Amino acid sequence: MSTVTVKVNVNGTPRTIEVESRTSLADLLRDRVRLTGTHLGCEQGVCGSCTVLMDGLPVRSCLTLAASCDGAEVVTVEGLDDADAHRLRQHFSTEGALQCGFCTSGMLVTGYELVRRRTEMDRDQVACALAGNICRCTGYNGIIRAVQKANDDGMAVDDLT
Amino acid sequence: MLTELGDDAKILAGGQSLLPIMNLRLAEPAHLVDISRVGDLMGADEDTTSVTLGAAITHQAIEDGLVPDPCLGLLTTAAAGIGYRAIRCRGTVGGSLAHADSAAEWPTVLTAIGADVTVRSAQDERTVPLRGFFHGFFTTSLESDELITAVHLPRFAKSTRWALEKTNRKEGEFGESMAVAIVSEGSASIWLGAAKDVPVNLAHVETLLADHPADQVPALGEVRDRVAADLDLSVPELDLAQRHRLQIHAVTVHRALSRALSPEVPA
Ligand SMILES: Cc1cc2nc3c(=O)[nH]c(=O)nc-3n(C[C@H](O)[C@H](O)[C@H](O)COP(=O)(O)OP(=O)(O)OC[C@H]3O[C@@H](n4cnc5c(N)ncnc54)[C@H](O)[C@@H]3O)c2cc1C
Ligand code: FES
Ligand code: FES
Repeated sequence: MSTVTVKVNVNGTPRTIEVESRTSLADLLRDRVRLTGTHLGCEQGVCGSCTVLMDGLPVRSCLTLAASCDGAEVVTVEGLDDADAHRLRQHFSTEGALQCGFCTSGMLVTGYELVRRRTEMDRDQVACALAGNICRCTGYNGIIRAVQKANDDGMAVDDLT
Repeated sequence: MLTELGDDAKILAGGQSLLPIMNLRLAEPAHLVDISRVGDLMGADEDTTSVTLGAAITHQAIEDGLVPDPCLGLLTTAAAGIGYRAIRCRGTVGGSLAHADSAAEWPTVLTAIGADVTVRSAQDERTVPLRGFFHGFFTTSLESDELITAVHLPRFAKSTRWALEKTNRKEGEFGESMAVAIVSEGSASIWLGAAKDVPVNLAHVETLLADHPADQVPALGEVRDRVAADLDLSVPELDLAQRHRLQIHAVTVHRALSRALSPEVPA
């Protein structure tokens, strides 16, 4: 099997990694960079647990080849570290937005990109925006509340950097 | 390059249809040619009558209005309804057309709009109307060495009214039915997705509308009879499940008509 060399910035650290051409971004992150916060559920794009940011936008790392990320900036749940990320974590904790934690990294990454868009959103809009992330434990209400609160906070303080 | 690599090579655009199939090991192409960052395929051009979108433009770029929408918001609405945001950030309009799922947004919506695509091989380039481009389940008139490079869209007249109605059980899933109605003075273009192997022109529904007083929505029963005719269905012979599916299509079309014909709200 052929290999490719991928230059990719992961959570601020530039890396050059040689992988088999068929390697997904998820496998690169988990097996090669040892960032196991990104979870793999379905590998079909449906469950959302593998969601990471690529050049600022959410993508399914199970449906993105590592080779397609050459030159890209990737941020995983481990790399979410600013005021929006902290507010999200805080509300996830107080709203009971996680139990087993399997879906949580994908929820946080998806929620993070959502709140960074700084648009007013009611509960239904938040729920629809999270429809691509499956949670088998919580029943979603806590997650939706947490993301909506983080969104409201972001709108109120306007500290987008 | 595709000619050189032969049958074992596949184009990879966003990978949002190809990689799920590869992850299931249903396809194992020996070579992938990644076009997702080819600059020429990512640009948009416009003039007074039309807009050209590069085939590698993502659903998200259209959703977020990063490229012009000459169809008065129909494109942005269609894009925003595709799957989930993370799918839209990778999936491309050209990939969706080449994949040719009749339940997907672009095949039905862009056919209803009357768009053309430019298709290129190493030797040749041709521009073909999407009406006639889809041949069957996941099959198009594309040859294996051909690439869709661009989509050409006509500008809607200001008075054009449109509605896109997708019926699904959960936000982000493929539609169980999808109807597009585009109504402008004196003419209507009404298409149905997810009903057959290719998008279906609802010619009988279009006639029903033409024969109807303007701005009045035909009754659901009338719409259902016309949809059945357009799908070549003989209602008395249908079993319950088939009737249920017909009803879903009829309701979806009826909702689209109601929205496209209602005078006050923009569609
Ligand atoms: C969970 C999930 C939900 C989804 N929901 C929806 C939905 O609701 N509605 C919807 O419309 N779609 C949906 N999709 C599909 C998505 O829109 C895909 O992005 C799209 O169908 C394929 O585009 P792509 O760029 O990812 O193509 P790829 O997966 O890269 O390619 C698909 C096929 O087209 C070929 N190809 C790609 N680009 C070209 C080109 N320019 N010229 C010639 N051939 C080409 C490839 O060789 C391949 O055979 C969903 C996908 C997933 C995973
Ligand atoms: S593992 Fe990628 S979406 Fe489920
Ligand atoms: S907390 Fe267990 S899957 Fe969501």
